[in-house]
Amino acid sequence: MPVKPKPVPVATAWTMPFWEGTRNGKLLYQKCGDCGTNVFIPRIACSRCFSENLEWVESSGRGTVFSFTVVENNAPSAFIADMPFVIAIVKMEEEGVQMLTNIVECDPYEVRCDMPVEVVFEKLSDEFTLPKFRPAASR
Amino acid sequence: MSDLKGKVAIIGIGEVPTGRFPEASAIYHAIESARRAIRDAGINKDNIDYVLPCGAVYSPPFNTELITGRVVEELGLKNVSKNCQVFSGGSTSSCGIDIAASLINSKAASTVLFVHADRLGTGVDLQGGIDLFATAGISHEWEVPFGQHYSSIAALAMTRYMYETGCTDEHLAAVCVSNRKWAELNPHAFFRKPVTIEEILSSKVLSTPLRAKQSNMLFDGGAAFIVTSAERARDITERPVYLLGEGGIVTHFVYSQEPDITRFGWARAAEKAFGEAGLTAADMDIAEIYDSYPIYELIAFEELGFCKRGDGGEMFLRGDTWPGGKIPTTTNGGMLSQGHTGGGGGVAILVETFRQLMGKAGERQVPNARFAVETGTGGTYMDSQVSVFGTEIP
Repeated sequence: MPVKPKPVPVATAWTMPFWEGTRNGKLLYQKCGDCGTNVFIPRIACSRCFSENLEWVESSGRGTVFSFTVVENNAPSAFIADMPFVIAIVKMEEEGVQMLTNIVECDPYEVRCDMPVEVVFEKLSDEFTLPKFRPAASR
Repeated sequence: MSDLKGKVAIIGIGEVPTGRFPEASAIYHAIESARRAIRDAGINKDNIDYVLPCGAVYSPPFNTELITGRVVEELGLKNVSKNCQVFSGGSTSSCGIDIAASLINSKAASTVLFVHADRLGTGVDLQGGIDLFATAGISHEWEVPFGQHYSSIAALAMTRYMYETGCTDEHLAAVCVSNRKWAELNPHAFFRKPVTIEEILSSKVLSTPLRAKQSNMLFDGGAAFIVTSAERARDITERPVYLLGEGGIVTHFVYSQEPDITRFGWARAAEKAFGEAGLTAADMDIAEIYDSYPIYELIAFEELGFCKRGDGGEMFLRGDTWPGGKIPTTTNGGMLSQGHTGGGGGVAILVETFRQLMGKAGERQVPNARFAVETGTGGTYMDSQVSVFGTEIP
């Protein structure tokens, strides 16, 4: 079967700073200047108070695995060659936001719930770099 | 309160078997289901004045035809004032009945035909189906680029739920076994051979811990029902099925943004639906729960109040949900055994709810069933929808 190209994020005008951030090795989220809510995924306005006074802040890049799965069969076409690979929801505990990602740089079967992880960046195309996570180095 | 309690009733149901029918078009399934529903109600077809076709996930030209009146023309309906598509994925069942009921209660309609059909079994191959559903309802910016798809979505809920509650692989397999016990008695179900926990747990892993036999299968099929006012229903049939309560909560679009993938909005939706009906889970004779994957059936079952969180698996395992059990659950076999026909997989579960309450469920009839709860959930489990029905108004 021909290998299909990986889908790139379908970005919007207000999310471009996020993708510019990942290109430069930074994981950004938004902070509402009015109510103080940390906003992720990026929004036009704060999803709590509707304020457009949102500023971009750099994340610690540290989180924990909330849930995960190792994809072994029946992946979407573009990901068949990657199997087995890990899809996970990571909680950024300090920022109180969560995101879908892949856990990389480890044996997929070593991933566990609540495992500490840290962000790494994987270039997908000239325009898009994806934030992924690896087991956190012991600190 | 939506004030719909006891105001409307279902008077007829129709369904075609679920399976692979390469020779039949989606319109065949739609027309045949609708025709059966009209015959079942025993009404003159020209009394139908409002048609609500359910959107098709796959079958784009058919979708367009649904919207533009094909069902009305094929059935030769002469007094239809409005034809309007309804679609909220797997929650089309609960949302559809709510809309039909609201139209009747507001006098915008007197008799509504709701009809679903799709061709997910023969319209698309397996990899095509995976690819289609790996983009349908999944964020193209935040999840598609990471390989998210429906198996991984179910697996993410399973992993966390099992971690938090101690639920085992056997418990989740038991949900499939329970549904299959019902499907063995359902001539419209695709999978009708008995299945064991061992067989399920030895099937190939799709996304850990989800296995192939814990996954719904895409098929062709159709289902329809007819709704009218409670008052009119009593003149038409001796056993109308009343809508008693409705509750729903839309929680998310991007799955990873839902803070609780082990509960969703079920408890809130159930509180509203049961509250409106003036009943509780303990009053229910049947639970008809949307089951595209066993984890979602189990979570909804528990959050509706049939047991404490974490205790549901044991109930499915020991037979409480089986034929003859104390709370018969998903009695058509669900999408795990009857098969998943798109938005209509939920409509089939809704039609089964009516069938049981009407006393027309044949071999799998739950004796003396008076009250039943039905659930639906659309997209990547974006919403939790709960409906309560009964043969009497408490």
